[in-house]
Amino acid sequence: MTEVDARELLDRPTSGLRRLVALGATMLLVAGCGIAGQSPTPAPTGTAGPTATVAPTSGSPSPTATAGGSPTAAPSPTQAPSPTEQPSPAGQLDFANWPLYIDIDDSGAYPTLDKFTAETGISVRYLEDINDNEEFFGLVQPDLAAGNPTGYDLMVFTDWTVERMIRLGYLEPLDHSLLPTFAANAQELYLDPWYDPGNVYSIPYQSGITGIAYNPTLTGREITSFDDLFDPEFAGRAGIFSEMRDTLCLTLLSMGVEPVTATIEQVQAAQQKLLEAAQRNQFRSDYGNDYYDALAAGDLAITIAWSGDISQMQLYDNADVRFVVPETGGMLWVDNMVIPKGAAHPIDAHAMMDFWYDVENATALTEYIGYFTPVSGVAEQVLEDAQTARDEGDEEWAAQLEVISQTAFPSNDQLQNVYTYPQLTEEEERTWNDLFNEVIAD
Amino acid sequence: MPRRLRWLTPYLFLLPGGLWLTAFFVLPMLVMASISLQEGSLSSGYRLTWNFPIYAEVITEWTTQFVRSIWYAAAVTVLTLLIGYPMAYTIAFRGGRFKNILLLLVILPFFTAFIIRTLSWKLILSDNGFVLGTLKDVGILEPAFRVLATPVAVIGGLTYNFLPFMVLPLYVALEKIDRHLIEAGSDLYASRRQTFLRVTLPLSMPGVFAGSLLVFIPAIGDFINADLLGSRETTMIGNIIQRLFVQTNAYPEAAALSFVLMAAVLVLVALYARFVGAEELTRG
Repeated sequence: MTEVDARELLDRPTSGLRRLVALGATMLLVAGCGIAGQSPTPAPTGTAGPTATVAPTSGSPSPTATAGGSPTAAPSPTQAPSPTEQPSPAGQLDFANWPLYIDIDDSGAYPTLDKFTAETGISVRYLEDINDNEEFFGLVQPDLAAGNPTGYDLMVFTDWTVERMIRLGYLEPLDHSLLPTFAANAQELYLDPWYDPGNVYSIPYQSGITGIAYNPTLTGREITSFDDLFDPEFAGRAGIFSEMRDTLCLTLLSMGVEPVTATIEQVQAAQQKLLEAAQRNQFRSDYGNDYYDALAAGDLAITIAWSGDISQMQLYDNADVRFVVPETGGMLWVDNMVIPKGAAHPIDAHAMMDFWYDVENATALTEYIGYFTPVSGVAEQVLEDAQTARDEGDEEWAAQLEVISQTAFPSNDQLQNVYTYPQLTEEEERTWNDLFNEVIAD
Repeated sequence: MPRRLRWLTPYLFLLPGGLWLTAFFVLPMLVMASISLQEGSLSSGYRLTWNFPIYAEVITEWTTQFVRSIWYAAAVTVLTLLIGYPMAYTIAFRGGRFKNILLLLVILPFFTAFIIRTLSWKLILSDNGFVLGTLKDVGILEPAFRVLATPVAVIGGLTYNFLPFMVLPLYVALEKIDRHLIEAGSDLYASRRQTFLRVTLPLSMPGVFAGSLLVFIPAIGDFINADLLGSRETTMIGNIIQRLFVQTNAYPEAAALSFVLMAAVLVLVALYARFVGAEELTRG
């Protein structure tokens, strides 16, 4: 057999046929990466996750293309680790939460988390990674869709995001036998909610109202109406949220429309109202959590805001700012603790979830962050703490605690005037998002 | 190594780099190309439908932001050149003993993260902060004056963030210039200005070229400066892509937009290379 000179092989000009084969192989590769979307549920089998070197034709169940061609796709054969099979906690918890959503002491430590660790022996890695529901959802969505662990065991999401995640199958169902304190202490208002009937996947963490915050020294007058946000007097010093739902729903309410029943035409009208104001530079910017700093610093005179943030601001950063539910209505939202599919330490997550329903811990949380608590008995506990503070001579803190005890649970007046988010289909969500993007991006 | 296999050597040398490029560039590009041609949604899944019209849709919808990004990036390149060239020249020709320290000072900002530096600019430029606030108190500026949320702030932030990318290549190019050539220029009766324009500047063009590329290409896709320092009127194409991907979850559009941006940058860079004469640059 004659020895073929390898160099000659390489130097041979590529024939047309070879080029065609190369092109075809590339096309197959591209197509293979895309053959997806048979089922929405990320239930990878053992052969899932086609590697990019083989033109995959077997129906890969991974729903999004991000799973498709990734050569590093590591499909974890997750059967949801049923908590009852593993009754003992692992000793480690990765907890993702929003900023300003847990009590911190002066040295920057988290006293309640330390208490949790002391009681249960589970060490907590606390990450304030969530700034925006959609942003964080976008961050974890590729992993969840591919069935990969996200790196988090416990997350806190607002109700409408929870609804979406349930619909997409991204959450682990809860084992309520591990949540006795929740069963004992949860308030009725927060049980069996519209977004998660029966609390199968989530239990509430904190709740609040989206309304308006303003600084009377900068506005010069009291504010009661959402339309004051559009007042040319405050041009360049008004703020709206980059969160589409809060902004659009409040605007819809200001036009007399309940968000749950809003039609597309009504949403377009709301968008026009916002767009007209945005085009004449009424709004300084659209904000996520960072509206807090702008408002406290005085860059904003009036803005959409979350109730608990303003309670905190009044205590710590700027005593002038006030929060008000617009006359036309505010949005009541509930942030919930959920466990993502593929969480590494689900038992520890359950332990933490149950921990927050103990009255003492819930009180510590409420006293610091000022949002509504889903735990009954907190308001009374706060009043007791106020009394203790007064006995010890700390009059200021006692007065603040008394105010907090009033805001630990929404008042009847407030409950009359707040609304919940609409359940949107993917298409509706897309339309609402596209409309809103026109407002915040030129 | 046996003689027969010697020809393999260059390919073996290329192998690590090639593998890295393939795994982290070529394959992701192919996946993104595939995504851009798909249609669907998160819940119903995505299907490859070879949806080529999406490219036209995406270009027509976001033309303003594209053009704006190109303008901003061009402005940033020119500004960094104007600021960076004197800096690099001074360090190279007049640095003397302090060259290393000066270079360290240029790189020092990189010890902090990009976002933190941009956030610090937000503080510095805030309406009533220690810069503007003081000027307003003194009366030089009127109370309603603001820098944040204007194109000026965005371009300023971008210039600040990318200045070292311009200074360093310029410094390298200027450092390499044979001083005797400059002497020769004055020997031949050229004034200082003429020497600079006809000897130093042309010899430093490789540095200008490299620096411009290093500034223009990242600047055009940047979204952090526009996000933190800008307003809705300064939205750049990077912001659009980020919003489409992360918030709207419109993956096909975001992928298509990324490719259009890449293509636009390639075209612009090719034109620039033709203009500056890249062949001459590579000739030592």
